[in-house]
Amino acid sequence: MAKPSTENTQVDLSVDLAGLKLANPVMTASGTSGYGPEFAEHADISELGAFVTKAVSPEPRKGNPPERTVETKGGMLNAIGLANVGLERFVSEKVSFWKNRSTPVIVNVVGHSVEDFQTVCSRLDDVECIAGLELNVSCPNVADGLEFGTDPNRLKGLVESVRPLVKRAKLIVKLSPNVTDIAETARGAVDGGADVLSIINTVQGMAINVDTWKPMLANRTGGLSGPAIKPIAVCMVQRVYRAVARDANVPIIGMGGICDWRDAVEFFLAGATAIAVGTALFVDPKIPMKICDDLKTYVANRGLTSIREVIGQLK
Amino acid sequence: MTASQSQTNGAYRTAMVSSHVRLCREHYRLTLQLRDMDHSKPGQFVHISPALLEKEQIGDCRLTTMDYRQPFLRRAFSIADHRQVSDGWECDVLYRVVGTGTRWMEKLGKGDAVSVLGPLGNHFPIDTKKKNAWMVAGGVGLPPMMYLAKSLAKADRDVIGFFGAQSADLLALALDGDDKPDTLAQHAVLADKNFAQSNVAIVVSTDDGSCGFPGHIGSALQAYHQNNPVANDELVVYTCGPEVMMRFVAGFCRERGIDCYVCMERSMACGIGTCQSCVVPIHDQDDEQGWRYQLCCTEGPVFSEKDISWDFPS
Ligand SMILES: Cc1cc2nc3c(=O)[nH]c(=O)nc-3n(C[C@H](O)[C@H](O)[C@H](O)COP(=O)(O)OP(=O)(O)OC[C@H]3O[C@@H](n4cnc5c(N)ncnc54)[C@H](O)[C@@H]3O)c2cc1C
Ligand SMILES: Cc1cc2nc3c(=O)[nH]c(=O)nc-3n(C[C@H](O)[C@H](O)[C@H](O)COP(=O)(O)O)c2cc1C
Ligand code: FES
Repeated sequence: MAKPSTENTQVDLSVDLAGLKLANPVMTASGTSGYGPEFAEHADISELGAFVTKAVSPEPRKGNPPERTVETKGGMLNAIGLANVGLERFVSEKVSFWKNRSTPVIVNVVGHSVEDFQTVCSRLDDVECIAGLELNVSCPNVADGLEFGTDPNRLKGLVESVRPLVKRAKLIVKLSPNVTDIAETARGAVDGGADVLSIINTVQGMAINVDTWKPMLANRTGGLSGPAIKPIAVCMVQRVYRAVARDANVPIIGMGGICDWRDAVEFFLAGATAIAVGTALFVDPKIPMKICDDLKTYVANRGLTSIREVIGQLK
Repeated sequence: MTASQSQTNGAYRTAMVSSHVRLCREHYRLTLQLRDMDHSKPGQFVHISPALLEKEQIGDCRLTTMDYRQPFLRRAFSIADHRQVSDGWECDVLYRVVGTGTRWMEKLGKGDAVSVLGPLGNHFPIDTKKKNAWMVAGGVGLPPMMYLAKSLAKADRDVIGFFGAQSADLLALALDGDDKPDTLAQHAVLADKNFAQSNVAIVVSTDDGSCGFPGHIGSALQAYHQNNPVANDELVVYTCGPEVMMRFVAGFCRERGIDCYVCMERSMACGIGTCQSCVVPIHDQDDEQGWRYQLCCTEGPVFSEKDISWDFPS
């Protein structure tokens, strides 16, 4: 890399997510940083571009029995089962932490029916301090057992049905990688009215104990995350960026295996406007802050002044 | 008294290996130099990993890169001892080699750097009203008891240690004195050098009978208790080890109205309450089904036996 031609301090890391201004483009990924307070004990939330909470469903959920996680080569499988405190307790106990904070908070929303998503979205859109609602569509619909996120039409229908209820917050749709062509589901989400796309959720996976011949996870299968999925995620971000998002002017939050600045830059080049760190936070919750520092250096070293000049520049 | 609340939020540090000793087959003691980890209590654990975020020189700049190393996630180990030394603090962990993470640890040598998060979790409560404290451990449930023994001795309790293993070569004890563990488990003896320093007499059991009482440590506990009755309300039992063993010890205590604290083990990804991996079912009268999950990493690992919903299919 060449000698820096710009001072780090002059580098602009701010980005715009469909009107939501982030001081920097590095966020946490849902389910890997709690509701806020747990994470705040170990890292400074004010240094994040945005914070994404654990999923919230209308009713509290206990989640799956243990074992819920297992390390695999290059990453981990999880089947937490969307354990969460439920909408009412979230509003009464967890929201106050986010009042008067400069860092935007995005709430991950999950449900087993269209009505579930509507209930949570309409209630949380009223909560002033919540900047965005991220729909987690990687879960089965109780009505027919099919995931919302794997069928473009079904996804479009879901997004359309919550769109009118989300008047203030940004509506983010988190896409599942467990599809044949992610551009099709991305198109469904955008046509349904998504403001932003998050790419990707975990990749379906399984690990088997060769001594007991049983699955390692109590839920049998789980979602793969961590460095092992990064090439899949980068590929999907560039596919959606080029096929759908760029022309539709819908920003992408890229995630999947990001551990350091180099990983992050790949996502920006592929077309992400912001990135999120998930599994790597389990190793060190300060990784997002380190990535921010290093992105400044990277941008300066390239002779640029803003991270925005890197977005989508894949040749 | 319920198991104590988490007292401290561990910090992330780079530690240096100051010694690494093989104790018996598959068991090692790793001593870590941790200059500024200046507090911890028995029952707490450290979460360790090889992931050192290294500064990489790129042109004139230094950037942080994360080389991929296995294990990727941290691994939890009970603090087996923690003491002040001339230039800071030292912490011992005792581990058994069982998989990827512990195989990495096995290769560590003096001077190697390790990333340590800790101390984490709550700790064993020390009940000042109960004169007798019995520690019951199986397999790698032993390490937290080594640290606990010291605290109990300081608190002037009468302490007995019950330690079980599959066979003599898997006992991470220092049994080189003249006293040999009683094969009938009727008497506790000062047979282990380290525990003897805290004046803790021990009862030992092995599944194959190669040392001490032949059978599991729960049976040894029963045999000892029969021979050495102690008023149940003057006794507190601490246990750590395989869940079947702790379940047995908890049942033994419940039948007799003895207070019992268990140190639970769960797969942990984060260790700080953010990932929801490490759940333990706990009785909850306010819940429709009568139970809810608590997190082993932040609300445990020590739980009162009474609080655990043992019947839950976990
Ligand atoms: C709070 C807490 C404290 C702990 N304290 C200690 C301690 O002081 N000393 C210690 O040795 N371990 C301790 N453990 C267990 C330790 O964390 C695991 O042994 C370790 O994570 C295994 O990592 P691995 O990568 O080597 O094995 P993995 O690759 O993760 O597992 C390999 C196989 O071994 C099995 N396994 C996992 N743990 C054990 C075990 N303890 N005994 C036998 N088989 C196992 C797994 O189910 C798997 O099949 C503690 C765990 C917790 C949660
Ligand atoms: C333990 C765990 C829990 C997760 N929970 C959620 C969740 O509740 N909602 C969601 O949309 N994604 C969830 N995810 C997916 C992550 O937000 C992220 O999309 C994925 O892990 C890929 O990023 P990573 O490789 O950096 O972890 C979870 C991931 C992990 C590892
Ligand atoms: S290990 Fe992550 S919540 Fe306990």
